[in-house]
Amino acid sequence: MRTFLAMAVFGGGIAHATLGPALRIANVAPDIPLIVVVLLALRRGPEFGCAAGFVAGLLQDAAGGGLLGVQALTKALVGFGIGLAGVRLSVTQPLVQVPGLVLLTILEGVARFGLLKLVRFPASFADLMTYVVLPQALYNGFLGAALVLALAWVETARERKT
Amino acid sequence: MRVRAVLLLATISLVCLLLLTLQFRGYGAGADDVLAFATTPIQAALARINRTAVGVWSTYEDWKSVRTENIRLREEARQLRIDALRVTEMAEENRRLRRLLALKEALPLATVSGEVIAREWGGWVRSLTVNRGRGDNVTRLTAAITPDGLVGRVVDVRPGASVVQVLTDPASAVGAHVVSSRTPGIVEGDPRGTLRLKYMARDGSGIQVGDLVVTSGAGGVVPRGIPIGHVRAIDDRGSALFHYALLEPAVDFSRLDALLLVVGESDRDLAAAFARGG
Repeated sequence: MRTFLAMAVFGGGIAHATLGPALRIANVAPDIPLIVVVLLALRRGPEFGCAAGFVAGLLQDAAGGGLLGVQALTKALVGFGIGLAGVRLSVTQPLVQVPGLVLLTILEGVARFGLLKLVRFPASFADLMTYVVLPQALYNGFLGAALVLALAWVETARERKT
Repeated sequence: MRVRAVLLLATISLVCLLLLTLQFRGYGAGADDVLAFATTPIQAALARINRTAVGVWSTYEDWKSVRTENIRLREEARQLRIDALRVTEMAEENRRLRRLLALKEALPLATVSGEVIAREWGGWVRSLTVNRGRGDNVTRLTAAITPDGLVGRVVDVRPGASVVQVLTDPASAVGAHVVSSRTPGIVEGDPRGTLRLKYMARDGSGIQVGDLVVTSGAGGVVPRGIPIGHVRAIDDRGSALFHYALLEPAVDFSRLDALLLVVGESDRDLAAAFARGG
């Protein structure tokens, strides 16, 4: 489990570092670690999602040079929440995946903004939502849905093979 | 299980809040250093991976653009080669037509220019079809000439075309003489496509390899003084009454695409015109 967690989180980090710049559209880059955390939480439950979110977020905090613990906490919360809700959601439907990831990204953004406001973050909420969080949320939604579909396709192919 | 998860979340939240508080109060440097100690190698590795991935991607992009550029340049080069060939061909045609025009103006005879529209090049018949016929005053036995010399005679006249029997046709025969020695003879074609000057008197002919042979004008069909060819070899049959010479034709019949047909009187000496025009 630990190996899987490490691989998934580092895989997300690697994807974020390597694919992130390449996937940038109109200055908007997807939050790949968030997508990875959501996927892991959906499959492994709240505990796993929480731990994965903490590690991935902490790495992102460290990489970004900002305050340590902001993304670690928000992503841990997202991982925990989606891990709890996952059992009740039909996540194989793109109609659930896209809005789900959009909503999660917005929630994570709001939570991050709230935390940062505690330490006197100067940016306005409206600007942040309009130019950063919402475009990224949309991007995450579609990219995450594509990843879910790709994973489902790989699993089906593997099952057929065995 | 759920209790464990809630406990984990609570612990993580506490840790994060503690980290934030420490950092906000100015004690975050230690935590930063600890994390940096763990994350810097990872960041370095990720940066390396990123650079490699970007490098591979740019190489691929470069390769793709080079390939597209290569295809475009190949097409451009092909088009330029075609254009160059066309220009060369047109320049060559222009040169040939200019020579033909110069000859036409220099000749003291009425001529019409014709374009070769068909060729018959088998061993039995060697002829050219020209796009000038009855309506252009072309008659049978009209001489066909180029700036290089005699091509042959018209043997068939049709409403819009004439058939010119080429000198190398096995049935062709034209009165001729060697310019240097005035030795007369008859130039005939043969099935091999060569030209022979026949019926030269053995005695006193004085013929040499390289001598120019021109039309003699005998019979009044072909004007006098038109180059036929140069002597390439002499066949001396010992005691025979006549001997003959193998000629190198003055005209390259295979590359002919335009010529002049002498449509008026033909009892003139054209040697001077050919010395200028040819």
